Amino acid sequence: MNPLLLGFDLLLSTTLLGLALAALTSREPRRGVILFIAFGLLLALVWARLRAPDLALAEAAIGAGLTGALMLSAARRAARRR
Amino acid sequence: MSHEILLTQLLYGSAGLLFFLLGAWSFISHEPLWRKLIALNIMGAGVFHVLVAVVYRGLDTPPDPVPHALVLTGIVVAVSATALALAFGRRLDREEPEQTSDVQGVDDREDGTHA
Repeated sequence: MNPLLLGFDLLLSTTLLGLALAALTSREPRRGVILFIAFGLLLALVWARLRAPDLALAEAAIGAGLTGALMLSAARRAARRR
Repeated sequence: MSHEILLTQLLYGSAGLLFFLLGAWSFISHEPLWRKLIALNIMGAGVFHVLVAVVYRGLDTPPDPVPHALVLTGIVVAVSATALALAFGRRLDREEPEQTSDVQGVDDREDGTHA
């Protein structure tokens, strides 16, 4: 049992859970979307940890990058409408 | 060694389950479109977590590639679904304000329908 690896796993999981909770409960569009982008980038780290580097690349580029850009433009419109 | 693998699987699998539940709760209970989309994406991340955690076989043995291929497809599909939903939302925004005359009604309608 590797305590360092276990600590890393626990830290990563709790940070990811905190980010997800913050992104889901945020009332301000821009803030929520930026938290979601941070969530996606840490998710890429999880895929790399679980021996799926192809998923890590796809998640960082498509999941966090492309979705983040799309949602940021939508968040700007949502903020303007309020 | 086997215990370590099982612990990692359990940790990431339960984290994925939690993501799915959090996302489902947020998807049901929050109104605006952008919040629903973030919730949908986090639900998907939970499912991907479970799929990848189940085939994890330790740091020195390669995992089963088939669920990885499924998750890769899922990531791409999630992005295109998000883009489609945003395009529909924008179209609804453009069409909606013409149908009502009073400002108060527009506000109410917008909050209700685009959610």
